[in-house]
Amino acid sequence: MTTTKNVNRRQILKASAALGAVSMGGLAAPTILRAQEPPKPNEIIIRAWGGPWVAALEAGVSNPFTERTGIRVIHDLTEDNEIQPRVWAAVAQGRTPPIHINWDTTVNATKSALRGVCEDLSDLPNIAGTLDLAKPVGVEGYPIVNTYGYVYVLAYRPEAFPDGPPTSYHDLLDPRFRGRIAFYNDGIGFHFPAQIAGGGTLEGIPDNMGPCWEFVERIKEQEPLLGEDPDFVNWFQNGEIDAACTISTNALGARRNGIDVAWTVPEEGAKFDTDGLWIPRGHSEGDLYWSREYINFALTPEAQQVWLDGLGLPGVVPGLTPPEGLAGDPSYPTEPEDFERLIRISGQIQVEHESEWFSRFKQIMQG
Amino acid sequence: MDALEGVFAVAWPKGGGKLTPYLLLVPAISVVGLLVIGLVYIGDSSLRTLDRTTFLFSENYSLENYRRALSEGFTYTIIWRSLFGAFVVTIITLILAFPYAYMMVRTRSALVRKALLIALFLPFFIGQVVRAYGWLIILGNQGIINDALGLIGIEPLRLLFNYPAVIFGLVQYMLPFAVLMLAPALTAIPEEMEAAAGSLGADWFQTLLHVVLPMAKPGLIGSGIVVLTLTLTDFAMPAILGGGTQDFIANAIYDQFFRTSDQGFGSALTIILVATGSLVVGIALATFGAGTLALGKSENEVR
Repeated sequence: MTTTKNVNRRQILKASAALGAVSMGGLAAPTILRAQEPPKPNEIIIRAWGGPWVAALEAGVSNPFTERTGIRVIHDLTEDNEIQPRVWAAVAQGRTPPIHINWDTTVNATKSALRGVCEDLSDLPNIAGTLDLAKPVGVEGYPIVNTYGYVYVLAYRPEAFPDGPPTSYHDLLDPRFRGRIAFYNDGIGFHFPAQIAGGGTLEGIPDNMGPCWEFVERIKEQEPLLGEDPDFVNWFQNGEIDAACTISTNALGARRNGIDVAWTVPEEGAKFDTDGLWIPRGHSEGDLYWSREYINFALTPEAQQVWLDGLGLPGVVPGLTPPEGLAGDPSYPTEPEDFERLIRISGQIQVEHESEWFSRFKQIMQG
Repeated sequence: MDALEGVFAVAWPKGGGKLTPYLLLVPAISVVGLLVIGLVYIGDSSLRTLDRTTFLFSENYSLENYRRALSEGFTYTIIWRSLFGAFVVTIITLILAFPYAYMMVRTRSALVRKALLIALFLPFFIGQVVRAYGWLIILGNQGIINDALGLIGIEPLRLLFNYPAVIFGLVQYMLPFAVLMLAPALTAIPEEMEAAAGSLGADWFQTLLHVVLPMAKPGLIGSGIVVLTLTLTDFAMPAILGGGTQDFIANAIYDQFFRTSDQGFGSALTIILVATGSLVVGIALATFGAGTLALGKSENEVR
């Protein structure tokens, strides 16, 4: 990594702002402005999710960024939850963090922001061209920039539902699906629909979630499989499951691998959430500058278009073209009416209570 | 060479001879010391609670994490599952390891011995996670076993993602450790003892029961303790073959450290695991002795 010694932080940020203002479309800055750039590091490290996730990031953001800057981008596929304590420890001990940029769930990233380990990104020029979705809720400014939204759909194998797609999570209680359904191992994405399926209301979150846990108890009787993103693709691929509550990208990944998988938003609704990018504190000025440039570039329409085509998800800049077959799809909400069946719970409530929801879900499933 | 010996003589005078055994212990003590320091830090963390508005830990000490752990039925569930699994795996592994080790030690055929040794060491070159994924391929719905069952018209069976699958994976993982611990103990039994038993009219079963097994007891205890402790603290097999529903204590600790960011509670569970493991091993040692782990001769043997 390169260390920049004679440029102070403000100068760099101003230069960055000027650079971005001139070149909203990316990194094509005039030579006179390039002269103010701090030395480039040889590489920057981005934590990412594997499989179709990292492939999309590479195609849409990392490779073009490398082409334009000459900076190699390394993708660290450590799980977001696993990198978090390492980053927190590095910042607390004044060490250089193990990654330059964390591609993280907004809820998880907000925990880091509340802990004060995120660099402020408020003055990134391309934020001006983003939708409200890019702004994290419950924190000051932009310690995180949300980069797209996603839906925890009910994915299913059409072959297992000959009478038509499942319309409700209650359909999964059919005995023929015993051992043939899957959820995230902490229940993420399922807590809120389960609250409705159990007869509760969204207003009952977080103080009255009894209906949610009662429905999770009923689902447990079906002996579901519990896993992470790559597991869902594998399980669909290997014929282990017939239905799963998962992010639409995983179902899309399985479909792109030739597996007959479809998805729907059931009558209980589906959780809508966002992911974002953030930079941990503790990097040299030069590394920080180019990490900011990476995020700034990720917010350009051209980067978003390719990246999110790969993920099959709606971005945070207006005017993107939906990938083939996803226009109007419930997993690709863009219009206000598209969000009517989706469940959005305040980020602050999720940050404060997510851990206890995870624990409760695991307790039920492990009991 | 002379120069080297000269340098060595200066650096290591003959007077240091008595200290040599103790100095040789230094690396081992350093490693254990580091672990103890780590445990002290974990003990410290276990007494601090997480503030979920700042995601920082409290400055004050409290027993809140322990109170929470011991008041939740979930803790007892995973402790029981881990302990029961450790006992079952230990028993099955010893039953399977004994004949393997005996055959390896007693066979007259060098070829058979080499084949058994290769089969024993081969799994060591393949990590636990890779082996677990191997079982996913073999035991999966579209795996070799179910394919074979399909040939005779049997519908695919769910062989994975349950407690028996975890036990199976752990036994397969632990078997080489048990054989390696047992083999020296069996080698130490003079073959003449078995021949003597035979000449006095004992059949092979009586010889096994009254001569070989009692004399192999130190090896059985040593390998039993190793298998028990390794199983009790295992993470990968329950995580991969359990399908997320058969967690052991280590998986619960991982979740607290890496999923809910609550290192304080995770540390409390870690201390509980260490205490549980130490208690179980302590009881085993008090009941059966240390077996081959005691190494030197016992006082009785010396007298």
